[in-house]
Amino acid sequence: MNLRGRRGLAHTLNGPQELGHGPVFWVCFAAVTVAALAYPAFGSVFALSNLANFCLYVPMGLGLALLWGYNGVLSFGQSAFFAIAGYVYGVIAGNLIDVPGGSLLAVAGGLGASVLVAAVFGYFVFYGQVSGWIIPLLLLVLSLILETFMGQTAGYQWRVGSVLFGGYNGMTGIPSLQIGEWDFGGASTAFYYLVVVLTLLVYLGLRILVNSRYGHVVTAIKDDVERTRALGYNVNFIQIQVFVLAAALAGLSGVLYVSWGNYINPASMGLLSATLPVIWTAVGGRRSLLAVLLATLTLRWLADTLAVRGGEYAFLIMGVLLLATMLFFPEGIVVSLARRYGGWKAPTGAMNRSGSR
Amino acid sequence: MSLADLVSLVYQYLDNIAFLLLAALGLMIILGVVNVINLAHGELIMLGAYITTIAYHDANLPLPVCMLLSVLGVGLFGMALERFVVRRFYGDRLAALVATWGVSLILSQGALLALGPSMPSVPLPAWTLHYEGYSFGGYRLLLFAIALAAIIATWWVFYRTKFGIRTRATMQNPDMTRALGVDTRNIYLLTFGAGSALAGLTGALYAPTTTIVPLMGTQFVDVAFITVVVGGGANPIIGAIASAALLAGISTPLSSILGTFIGRIGLLIAALVIIRFLPRGISGYWQDLRYQRMARHSS
Amino acid sequence: MTNRPELTRTDGVLLRTENLVKAFGGVTAVDHLNFELPAGELRCLIGPNGAGKSTLFGLLSGLHRPDSGIILFKGEDITRLPPYQRVRRGLCQKFQTTRIYRDLTVAQNLLIAGGARSRGETNERLEWALSTLRLSEELDLRAGRLPHSHQQWLEICLTLATEPDLVLLDEPTAGMTPDETAVTARFLIDLNEHGLTVLVVEHDMAFVRLIAHRVTVLHYGRIFSYGTLEEIEANQEVRRIYLGEQ
Repeated sequence: MNLRGRRGLAHTLNGPQELGHGPVFWVCFAAVTVAALAYPAFGSVFALSNLANFCLYVPMGLGLALLWGYNGVLSFGQSAFFAIAGYVYGVIAGNLIDVPGGSLLAVAGGLGASVLVAAVFGYFVFYGQVSGWIIPLLLLVLSLILETFMGQTAGYQWRVGSVLFGGYNGMTGIPSLQIGEWDFGGASTAFYYLVVVLTLLVYLGLRILVNSRYGHVVTAIKDDVERTRALGYNVNFIQIQVFVLAAALAGLSGVLYVSWGNYINPASMGLLSATLPVIWTAVGGRRSLLAVLLATLTLRWLADTLAVRGGEYAFLIMGVLLLATMLFFPEGIVVSLARRYGGWKAPTGAMNRSGSR
Repeated sequence: MSLADLVSLVYQYLDNIAFLLLAALGLMIILGVVNVINLAHGELIMLGAYITTIAYHDANLPLPVCMLLSVLGVGLFGMALERFVVRRFYGDRLAALVATWGVSLILSQGALLALGPSMPSVPLPAWTLHYEGYSFGGYRLLLFAIALAAIIATWWVFYRTKFGIRTRATMQNPDMTRALGVDTRNIYLLTFGAGSALAGLTGALYAPTTTIVPLMGTQFVDVAFITVVVGGGANPIIGAIASAALLAGISTPLSSILGTFIGRIGLLIAALVIIRFLPRGISGYWQDLRYQRMARHSS
Repeated sequence: MTNRPELTRTDGVLLRTENLVKAFGGVTAVDHLNFELPAGELRCLIGPNGAGKSTLFGLLSGLHRPDSGIILFKGEDITRLPPYQRVRRGLCQKFQTTRIYRDLTVAQNLLIAGGARSRGETNERLEWALSTLRLSEELDLRAGRLPHSHQQWLEICLTLATEPDLVLLDEPTAGMTPDETAVTARFLIDLNEHGLTVLVVEHDMAFVRLIAHRVTVLHYGRIFSYGTLEEIEANQEVRRIYLGEQ
């Protein structure tokens, strides 16, 4: 290994910070990718739309995996960033509906809004060097306040331009993403491909990131903050960067969501929604991007199935799942399996060296 | 501003302080002693309200007795929670947070499934006071008095009982305290019970003032969390009083002029700014000042 | 881009403290300390327990803020700088108890350490250190599994990875056998001969004798004595303050 940190792409992709190495893994990965890309040829429109819906949440889950699993920062605010991006996209796209390229501007606006809020929030908590528990608490409060506020925006006076916020019923009629003649609506094949390709890029990109020197520094911060400072790193700044990246990924999921469903409501920034990324990350195993990706897809599918058969039980089951996972599989189910049967050796990082987290 | 306006403002201020104190005290005590944030705190408050409501309507017990039942019931539940869930996470505080969030979901969703979307409310004692065109609810003044009593009682336990001394020792140096033969696990268990009992009390006391729904805990936790963050765990009593007084001082004028939403956002922003400069909260800062003062006097 | 003010405008003095004061509780750990370290020296800092050596290191690396006084490094006032910016200017400390990333491999530890000041060139001094100390054969081992002396050496190499001009070593041979101590001594002398300024806090006088040319003796937070090793050893006053320790 070259100490300078410059290694081949193959080496970085196969680094120790993430699950899954070697030819067998990559062949399976390629096979699944090909299957996913070929699916539109024999899948129904309904099935495609569903699968796209499950996939679009993956960037949000992976962002939390990076933030919590690799950097040790627990966030209950990912759904807030998801919904902020969704609402801002809705406002901009709705007002620019006749403008070519308007929806792209809306994407930039939505992501920008989430990034801005995250940067401001991150400045206060990371430059204040606060204890770990303060961050999830204040993010929960933020989610609550936003949900309550948006919930009472029902009247006609609550609008920006021609777009109504819609109160508890939410914002409807949000135009899907449009690039040129392609309309990325929820039922379209174009949207399915967009989501699958984006998910792939995000996963591979993050995989490279965590195995790079930067990724090692990110986990070093979780393992021993003072040590990392003593090696010359501006830890406060790096932590804001990771936080903002996670917020941007959540925002990406948010923008994809409104393009898919043309709709968003305050519940998507509320407490119950805030729980979902945490559940996916905890159940899969926050220390591995792949584990979180699998858990997100599986749990989204589960929630969808439950919604049909017994929707009222969905969150109760989620609560039981979360508690049971924390009690019996604290490292996550997929990661625990990988350790026991695959001999995966990445550090657990469950406890910070100085015991402060 | 007339005298009556001033009186009204003071009344709102005291009312807000009482709400913050009662919502946050139990959580702060647990944070200070056990160093864990119980995210199911809101649901414990909800449980307290529900126990009072059910005891009042179904068992027809007098209101104070119902409230006592809430305190005992939620206190016991809190101890069970510590014993079977929280205790496993003393090595990883963030995991404790997530686990208690799971409990919170189970409690609120379970209440929804088992008891329905709402319950009939408990009547509010109609003790109205009139002054110069304003009417004030006497019950809410009583709540302020109870909040003060709770703080005094907590202070008394911490500083005037043997249990309190052992608890403070555990807060400062758990290993040393264990080496001196104190059963710190017992202290954590009882503290968790006491903090939960306080949450139950809060739910019981506020039950007559609000609708009884499974998610009612959320209206308490967003201010409770901010109060805890600003107060800090170094000294739960100082932290609770200072934080509640400060935050109520910010939210009272804000919400009376600009509405509840601005009041709550104002609190969140205030919390962010305060922790930027006092990362361990007011009580952490106060503790640092005390140590420096002691140092100067002894040298 | 890193900030590297040149040595020439400081008349050869790499590190200087002026009237440095730090008190903890009722104890003045560092008491109006005026300390000077010329570039290229290998200096040992000794003194009885509680003399203020660790506190001084903490002040130099930025762990503590002084109550008053200033610290000049390469002519620049670094008193108010946070630790990471001192490292970027070339001042790096090795802690007394090893604080390596135990769950990561040696290679991963070095990868992280080399990042903050990396300019993409080979760190020849580091490569030489790794091969001299045989750590280059252990790159894929988990740092926490290394024998204690290797962990200490790894930690020194981590400081070297930050390309320092001055290295503060806090008891580098604690827990080492006499053979390992001798290797460490030889290693530090070679490092110093290649241009690295080294300031070492040590209790083991045998080790001090192996490496030091000049020694500063601290006592009650002040400089008690300073001179060559021979002068210090011959000094009756120094013997007295060390009563019972040697």
